Formats: sequence, structure tokens, C-alpha cells
Amino acid sequence: MAEIKGFKNKKLLYDTPQKADFDNSEFPIHRPQISKKIIARPTANICYMRERNISMLKNELILKNPLRRMGYKSDDILNKGEFGAVMARAGVGKTAFLVQLALNSMLREKKVLHISLNDPVKKVSLWYKEVFSRITTHYHILQGAQLWEKVLPHRFIMTFRVEGFSVPKLEERLTDLIEQDIFKPDAMIIDGVPFEDPIHQDLADLKNLAAQQGMQVWFAIRTHRHEEPGPNGTPSQLINVADLFEVVIQLVPVGKHIQIKAFKGPGSSGDQPDLMLDPATMLIQDQT
Amino acid sequence: MSKDIRKVRNIGISAHIDSGKTTLTERILYYTQRIHTMHDVKGKDGVGATMDSMELEKERGITIASAATYCEWQDHEINIIDTPGHVDFTIEVERSLRVLDGAILVLCAVAGVQSQSITVDQQMKRYKVPGIAFVNKCDRSGANPDRVMGQLREKLGHNAAAMQLPTGLEADFEGVIDLVSMKALYFDGDKGETVRPAEIPEKLLPAAQTARELLIDQASMFSDTLTEAILEEKEVTAEMIIGGVRQGVIERRLTPVYMGSAYKNKGIQPLLDAVTQLLPCPLDIENEALDMNKAEQPVVLRNENDKPLVALAFKLEDGPYGQLTYIRVYQGSLTKGDTIVNVRTGKKVKVGRVIRMHADQMEDIDAISAGYIGALFGVDCASGDSFVAPGLSLTMTSMYVPEPVISLAIFPKDTKSEVNVSKALGRFTKEDPTFKVFVNAETGDTIISGMGELHLDVYIERMRREYQAEVTTSPPRVAYRETITQRAEFDYTHKKQTGGAGQFGRVAGYMEPVQNEDFVFENKVVGGAIPTQYISACEKGFRKCMLKGPKMEYPVTGIRVVINDGASHSVDSSDMAFQAAARHAFLQGYAKAKSVIQEPIMKVVVETPTEFQGAVMSTLNQRRAMIVGSQDEGPFSEIEAQVPLSEMFGYSTDLRSVTKGQAQFTMEFLTYRQVPQTITDELAKKSAADKKNVA
Repeated sequence: MAEIKGFKNKKLLYDTPQKADFDNSEFPIHRPQISKKIIARPTANICYMRERNISMLKNELILKNPLRRMGYKSDDILNKGEFGAVMARAGVGKTAFLVQLALNSMLREKKVLHISLNDPVKKVSLWYKEVFSRITTHYHILQGAQLWEKVLPHRFIMTFRVEGFSVPKLEERLTDLIEQDIFKPDAMIIDGVPFEDPIHQDLADLKNLAAQQGMQVWFAIRTHRHEEPGPNGTPSQLINVADLFEVVIQLVPVGKHIQIKAFKGPGSSGDQPDLMLDPATMLIQDQT
Repeated sequence: MSKDIRKVRNIGISAHIDSGKTTLTERILYYTQRIHTMHDVKGKDGVGATMDSMELEKERGITIASAATYCEWQDHEINIIDTPGHVDFTIEVERSLRVLDGAILVLCAVAGVQSQSITVDQQMKRYKVPGIAFVNKCDRSGANPDRVMGQLREKLGHNAAAMQLPTGLEADFEGVIDLVSMKALYFDGDKGETVRPAEIPEKLLPAAQTARELLIDQASMFSDTLTEAILEEKEVTAEMIIGGVRQGVIERRLTPVYMGSAYKNKGIQPLLDAVTQLLPCPLDIENEALDMNKAEQPVVLRNENDKPLVALAFKLEDGPYGQLTYIRVYQGSLTKGDTIVNVRTGKKVKVGRVIRMHADQMEDIDAISAGYIGALFGVDCASGDSFVAPGLSLTMTSMYVPEPVISLAIFPKDTKSEVNVSKALGRFTKEDPTFKVFVNAETGDTIISGMGELHLDVYIERMRREYQAEVTTSPPRVAYRETITQRAEFDYTHKKQTGGAGQFGRVAGYMEPVQNEDFVFENKVVGGAIPTQYISACEKGFRKCMLKGPKMEYPVTGIRVVINDGASHSVDSSDMAFQAAARHAFLQGYAKAKSVIQEPIMKVVVETPTEFQGAVMSTLNQRRAMIVGSQDEGPFSEIEAQVPLSEMFGYSTDLRSVTKGQAQFTMEFLTYRQVPQTITDELAKKSAADKKNVA
């Protein structure tokens, strides 16, 4: 297994002692059967009256998602096991963009695991809240609070320190979550990976993991103004790992706006619509 | 009492459980010669620390009620309020912070910034209390003050500035390097009472120089003299640095960090110096009161003795000689024999004994001057009351008091206990606004409610110990609520004209959900369909229904009732008739309004060694938790989750067993959220069963 930036690749004393502890009959643990009961209920086309409005709202927001116009085949843009990246200079709006991708998935009841190597949970969660409230204001949605409570359980935030992050560690955490039936992500967002370091092997491992678990993974890549881009304008951070990414989206400040360009993948040939990131709200907007 | 207000410090010591703040306070009192021996919190000598005056605190090793203590250091008078560390007692912390001018934030060098530190820090921000940080336990294995400084910056957003560097760490911790005087300080003697300055060890000199430069750089942001000296390459004096740092502290834009180990008696005296040099005196802080005559407009108070008195009673204690009221004077002075007014009740009070407290001993004084903290005897009031000179109508800002979320019934075991229980409850409710008592009208049970399981536990324990009142308790009950989720119309005619005095009233309108309000009543009746004199009867009828919801008899909240039509009868209409009509109209509308049960959701933060992260998440998951996220901090992880209160009973035991006692958690009320259908069904079953039992 590979490492990222000096993380000591030691297997954590994790599974065995803790599991044994857990099954210790000396401490009987209260396990309510709620989740099972909920699953056991017929899930056929029943739409409860009080939930009707909320699901209508959700659909409305999904339909309004401007990214649908980028010409991707599915709403997720990526297929299972694929990698996508959002590339921009610092402060242009990578995180805001990724959070919108995540919220779109969450609205469609897909589970999103957001991993941040820079920010604490509180800050990441604030990003979501902020972007969500801007979306609801933008589309004049009044029951924002209710909708928020509906989408929130589809998100899980995990933060690591950059030096403490490694693929085996992530794998271990992920297995924990999935095995204990706490959270099974459909998509993952990873913010803050140091692309300057040689990390091809790590990413390849991660891609295997993603394929196994059937997840799509989005990355934020920070580029630098002073660095000369390589051939075809590929920034230095991406050159060595470009083969792993199916889709790359670039955010380019143009005048007062931030243009969303498909750099790699569908739409990159130039026939894409004009999508912008509104610099005031950081929301993706359709200019047409 | 001292004449120079500039040499007065009212400070608090705030921290996470087990960061050692009581030990620290104990050392401070020893070095300032207020006490002559030191005891530990869980002392083997069976005496316990001086500040933990309640027996229960000594037993559990935690501080519950904050005692106020006075001491002197280098000509300065320091009033210390020891604050409790457990989140269940945060009202105490908040109340203490309200009267402080500055605080020492104690952090553990191993565990760093923990969840409770974050809560306390937020409270310090809310009351704008400037602070300095003390990284304690530098002698423990795994101590890393650097990491703690980083966490201060990242987690709490402080502009942390190291004032010292440790010489050696963990078992080799010897002392500190003072970056202002550039001397190494060692603490000699059995109890570290002699501070010995020495040259900085050579191998640490480069690090110390770099750190000093950084400190000067940070301090120069707040001092022009210092900036000038740097630019003109003059000598930078200690006064310049201290001046800059002090300014930064008072503006709350810089947090100087000190280091040491209270348990090993190292680094305490420099911290005391820092308190006198860096923390503000009462003059540096602007305090505001609210003018009751001018719609509660804020008024800035003057910290002068000859102004009319404004003071705040922030804590009560029942001592052997009657009620002791801790008081902070903001303006004017409080002298023996004065007549003062309790703003809340409007009653005049004559000041009897005025004293100064030292944990559980006291000394008589003549007056409390502006800016000081003292205590009064024999004054009847509740905590949080303001006292002013006659003729003034100022009140100190009312403190934020959260609603209780948990309750249980208590039953005294015998008659003697019964009397004592009522005494105890009377005192507790006066002392602690989050602790409430009421009698259930139906069952006749005495119900106590508070902010958490431990909160109530402590009071029951105190009843037993301090009042010899034995009680048995019912299992705790969660404060569920009912509310509606959609608008519904009602139109009800109450008619009883079958003989005798008739009753007639018709009420029509609608009800709808409303956020952040319990009950809103609006009258949109036009043309006198309901005569004006009966409108209040209608409101009363609706309000009565809110107390006990039709669905499961929980209180109803979040409803706006609008009445827009009705009818009356010239003879048969009465207040009673309209109240009855309103009640039935409420039931009629409520049935159509898709009512739901809501339960209190707590924000739970668990701090655990990383290896137990999975196990902890699983314990939370079993409790219907929504896990918000996990934060990996190297050896420690922090898991944040939102969990229904009803599932949190006995969580501490569970957590202990899966983490070998190495994890801690804090819990605070977050919001009310709808109960899932399955749980609602269970609740319904239970309440039906209860009803059967009663019958």
C-alpha cells in the first residue's frame, strides 16, 4: 500500500480489540430495531402527504441544475468508479463548485462522503449550509429548512490532516462505515490532496477502491498562477496523473465572471453551453 | 479595600474537564499565600482542593458551583471565579463569565483544544471576555504545546502568540523560557515556590530567538512605539512587548500562550505575572446596562465610586448563616447600611453584612467599590437580579436561559425528607435558572427538570447530602412537543340552550405552523362578529389547549391561530361559552392540521482515541444518531453527531465500555425535530398504557 507525504504505513490496532470489546456481553448494548422496521415497510409508490411537497421541491431543484446542460450523459457526470477533478487557482471557487455537485447528488438521495484535508468539520459543514441557503434563496424556496433536514442525512464529513491521510487508512474507515451500516457513500469528494507530491500510485489505489465500492470520486486541484502549464495547457499538477481522470472541469476567471470549462471528457471539444460561476454567490449559472 | 482600581483583576479560569483548572487555582492560592497547604482534587489526604468546597465535587473530582476567591499578587488584587467544567452546568459558566473582565483558558498539553474548550471559548466570545491561554500538563507523556498552539489557531481561531517555550517536555519538563526577558525560569523548592532565572540553555537559544522575533512581530501589530523601535532598529524593551501584547489582549485580537504544569508546580508564577500585566482591569472594559424606562436601551456604565450604584447578583449560596449573595458592582459603591433596590421585584433592601469570600471562609468589609466582586448576607433575591441605587431603573442584560430538556418525578421517602426536599428545591431553583420545579396537576407528583441527566443527578445527590432528604425518582422523561405541519380551518359553534342559563359562541378561522414562536394569536374579526370583550376569552381558550396537546398530551408549540369570523348571542354568550368554543375549534382544526410529535435533538461531540473511532460511531448509530462528521486529529478523533435526547440515557456507561474509558463526550441542546413514525407509535402505546394504569 502506498503512502501520502510521510504517513507511517502501520496497520492500526483497530478491528480486533475493539470488536471484541463491543460484543462483550458484560455490557449489553441497547440496540433499537428502528432501522430494520423502516426498511421492512413497503417502499412501493407511496408518497406521504406531508412529504409530497418536499419531494416536489427536490425534483424541481434537480431539474434546475444547470450542469445538466454541460452535455454529460448522467446527472452524476461520472460513472461508477470514475475520477473527476475541478481545477482552479486558489479562491476561485473549487469548494463551492464541489459542494454544489454534492448537493445535487444529495437531492437525488445519493450519499456523499466529503473528505477534507484542510478544513475542520465545522467549516465544511458551513460551506454546505451556505451554498444550500444560497440555492434556496436563488430559486425562491420557502421550505428550505425542511428540505435541508431531508438532504442532510445523505452527507458525511470526514477530515484528516494532510500528513495523516493515506489510502489504506481511508479504506479502513470506509469499511468501518459500510460494515456497521452507518454510511455507504455513492460519491466521494476529496478536497486538499497535495497534487504537487508524487501521488500517482496512491490515486491508482484509490481508484481501485472506488471501483470496488462503486463510487465516483471528485477532487479539487489547486493550480498556481506562476507555473507554466504543460502541453495542451495541462497544469503541472495534473500532468502525471491525468490518465486517471475521466472528467476535468476548469474554472477560469474571465472579467467579472468565472467560466466553467470542460477541460477533459464530454463537452471539452468546444460545443458546450456557456456556464458561469456567479462570483457573488458562487452558484453555477446558465448564461443563456 | 485597595484604592487603585487599575490594580484589580476579576478573572475566571475556564477549561475542559480534567485539564487541571482546580489544581491550577489551588497553586495560585498557595503562591499568593491565601492557603498554606496544597491539596489535590482527588487528594490522598482526604481534604480536597480549597476551591471544590462542596462534598460532592470532592468525591467526583469535578467542580460544580463556582466559588469566588480573592487573592493578592504583586500589589494587585485578583478575584478568581472557579468555573465548572462540565457542559451540564454551563449556566454557571455563563453567569461567571458575565462578571469577569478576563479569563485564563486552561488547555491540556496532551489533549489540546477539546470540545468543552470550544464551548467555553464561544461563551467567552459572546460575553467579549479577553483571555490568555495556559497550556497545562506539559510534564505528561505526549505533551505537545506546539500542537495545542496550532489548535488554538485552527479550531478556535485565536491569534495565538507564544510567550514562553518549554525547556524539555514530558518527563524532562524542567521549566520555561520567558521570551520577553529571554531568561530560562526554573522552579525550585519543594513546592516550586522559588523562581530561579538562569541563562537559556545553548541548544535552545536559536529556537528561543526565532520565537521571540515572532512574538515581537505579533505584538507590534498593536503598538506604535514597538513598531517604531523595530523600524528604527532601537532596543526593544520588555515594556514595549508587554504593552503591545496587552493591547492585543484587550482588543481580543491576540491570545498570549503560557506553559507549565500545575501539578508539578511549574510555570504558575509567570502566569500570575501575566494576569497582572496583560489582563484588563475593570476600567479597560466597557459595561452596559439596559434602561427600563427607555425601552431597554443600552446605557454605558461608569466605573466610578461616586456614581449611583448598579450591581449584579450572579450567584447565590445557602450557607449556615443564611443566604449568601455574590455580587459584582459595576458602578458606584455598595456600602454597609445603604438602601438598594432590586430591579426585578422593585423591593427596597437594606445592606447588612458585606463580605469578601475566599472559597468557604469569609472576611467582613465595609464596602464593595465599583469593579469589585464581593458578597452580601441576608439579601433575598434570585441569581441574575440587578441591584441599583433608589431612583435608577437600570438592569444588567438578562442572561440567556435555555429551556430544560429533561425531567423526572421525585418522591420523598418520609415526612422529614419531604420538608427538606422543599427547602432544597427552593434553594436550587433560586440558584440555577435552568433547574425548574413544578407539580403535575393530575398526578400530584413533584417534577424537576433541567439540562441533562447529570445535571439532575447532581441535584438529587445534593438533596441527600446537604439536606438529608432521601428521594426516589422516576425514570427521566424527555420533553416531547406537539406541533402542526399544515394550515387548517376551523369553524365551531358552541351551543347549549336546553334549559337553565344558555351558552352560545361561534369561532371560525384557521391555524398554521409558525417557526421560532410558541403561540401567536391574531384577531381578524371584522364587524363585531365576535364582540371585542370576548376576544380575550377566545385567546384564553386556545392557549389552554396549548398546554396539553390533543395527540399525546405533550405541550403544543409553533402554532399561529387566526380568528376571522364568529357569532354571538345577546343573552347566552359569555366568556365561558367562548372559551369552550375556542377549545373545540382548536381540536377541530388540530385534527386536520397533520400534527406531529417533536423531540429534542442534542448535539453530541465525542472525543476518542482514533483506534476507537469505529466503535464510537457504532454506539452513536445505534442511538438513532445522524453523524455529521469525523475529524481526525492524529492520536485523537472527534466525532460530531446529532442524537435524540431520549436515546442518550446511559450513554456515558456505553461509551466508557467501548473505549476503555478513554473517550469523553459533551452534549448540548440543538433543536426540536420530528419523531419518526415508529417511535411515535411506541410513544402512543406507552401513553395509552399509562392512562390505563392511572384508571
